[in-house]
Amino acid sequence: MRNYLSAECFKTFHRKYFYAALGVCLVLEAVLLWGYWLTLNWGNPTVNFSYAATTVSFLLSVGLYATLITGDVVFSDQYKNDTLKNEVSYGLPRARIYLGKLGVSILVALIAAVVMLAFYVVGCWFLFPHDAQDAQGWSLMGYCLAGALPLWLAAQAVVIACYFLVGSATVAAFLAVGILGVIPSVLQAFGLLFHPVFEMLRQFTPSVMLDSLRNMAFDGGYLGLCWLVGLLWFAAATALGLFFFQRKEIR
Amino acid sequence: MAEPVLTTRGLTKRYGGTVAADHIDMTIEKGQIYGLVGRNGAGKTTIIRMITAQSAPSEGELALFGAHTPRDLARMRSRTGAMVETPSFYPYLTARQNLEYYRIQRGIPGKRAVDEALEAAGLTNTGRKVFKNFSLGMKQRLGLALALMNHPDFLLLDEPINGLDPEGIVEFRNLLLDLNRERQTTILISSHILSELANLATCYGFIDHGVMLEQISAPRLEEKCRACLELHVDDASRAALALERQLGSMDYEVLNDTVIRLYSHLEEPAEVTRTLVEAGVGLATIESRGANLEDYFLTLIGGAHHA
Repeated sequence: MRNYLSAECFKTFHRKYFYAALGVCLVLEAVLLWGYWLTLNWGNPTVNFSYAATTVSFLLSVGLYATLITGDVVFSDQYKNDTLKNEVSYGLPRARIYLGKLGVSILVALIAAVVMLAFYVVGCWFLFPHDAQDAQGWSLMGYCLAGALPLWLAAQAVVIACYFLVGSATVAAFLAVGILGVIPSVLQAFGLLFHPVFEMLRQFTPSVMLDSLRNMAFDGGYLGLCWLVGLLWFAAATALGLFFFQRKEIR
Repeated sequence: MAEPVLTTRGLTKRYGGTVAADHIDMTIEKGQIYGLVGRNGAGKTTIIRMITAQSAPSEGELALFGAHTPRDLARMRSRTGAMVETPSFYPYLTARQNLEYYRIQRGIPGKRAVDEALEAAGLTNTGRKVFKNFSLGMKQRLGLALALMNHPDFLLLDEPINGLDPEGIVEFRNLLLDLNRERQTTILISSHILSELANLATCYGFIDHGVMLEQISAPRLEEKCRACLELHVDDASRAALALERQLGSMDYEVLNDTVIRLYSHLEEPAEVTRTLVEAGVGLATIESRGANLEDYFLTLIGGAHHA
């Protein structure tokens, strides 16, 4: 497994895609910081470090959908390039292939998240004034990130399962968006039309839980629920993906 | 008997109602170069894909180096090198980077392995050119380099000379022959360029519509394809006697009571006819025969109109 992970890292970090995608995200963050800085300079007194840092809690869903990119960076159009045959024909177990790519996509996602958060927070730190609310800003950000992490992991597992099971990367991405973003809306509609149980189920979807995080700030029980639900989604998506990939014809 | 490298028993692959490979029994022994001959869609690639775990058999079993459990098969596959259909690599990496990726993944020690594989495949000067900009011949060479990188005991090559120029084909043939001679590498090679297979294979498997029609050694095939006069007579033993006594020829083969193949006097059918008639042998027909691999294959699958 160590060799497999090393090889995936070699491939991923020898490609411009990861750096380009990260660069675009950093530029967007820079634009956001610039916007806040302009507002501050125009005399808006509410803009300070705490205010800007709290924005992170509103952008948690971005991390959910960013897993589409981190998954794609690692999966690298395997079916379009027909490269999986080189791996299975050498006798590499399919479980190693699946878990190896999932592991490296999580690593890439974590690296990207750390770089982007560090860039944003350092930007906020130097650009905006500090006051007594700084500690609360840090705490809210920490709580939201601690709750978001398992839900992002779940999203990454769903995305990788879709990439492994669907031949076209574009269709796989749409399927993943459908599972992560559309299913909650469908459950909401079913809850209104048929039975409240669907609304209850909706509350345990990653995107809804991410949206609720900032409102549940500092609730330890909800944080634990995020981890439980995130890990369950992660395990279910990985088990299903692995089950079907074991039986998939490789061309 | 030499150690069997590959054994299949009743290996079958069905796609819905279509049988792509139908109860294939094959044995490839160590040191053999096995030519798998068949038309496009005959089932050659299906068989190779099952051997390389890209596709699971619907029925039957296979053993590699004597191993047949899934776990052992996976272990034994690391002793193989394969090039199935078109070579596939990451389009944004160079030849060296692609091989380095697989070297790390497969745990092959030493970066020298990449250089050696590139050198063996004649692909040392590609520099920073990425795979997507390679010509078909260069892609084939890189596929071969990957197949060779782990110094395999068993090479599986599916249509490997597609896209190679004439010089490349000769180099490729010599490389395979060297590997076979010096390292005793066993090779399974499928191709529809039969003249090229004829220069390499030590035995053949002829496949059509997913069915293995015949497996035959190269010497036996050569013998079967040898030019001769085929004589249909009323009494083969009397005819044989006449050929020996009157024509002084011992180079013949009695196929059954009424058919003899004469491998001498090929340019003298009239003389042969006269000799037999004078000896009182009833001669029904005399026919000049002989075939190359292509003719043999076409005859086997039922005539040239099929090809």
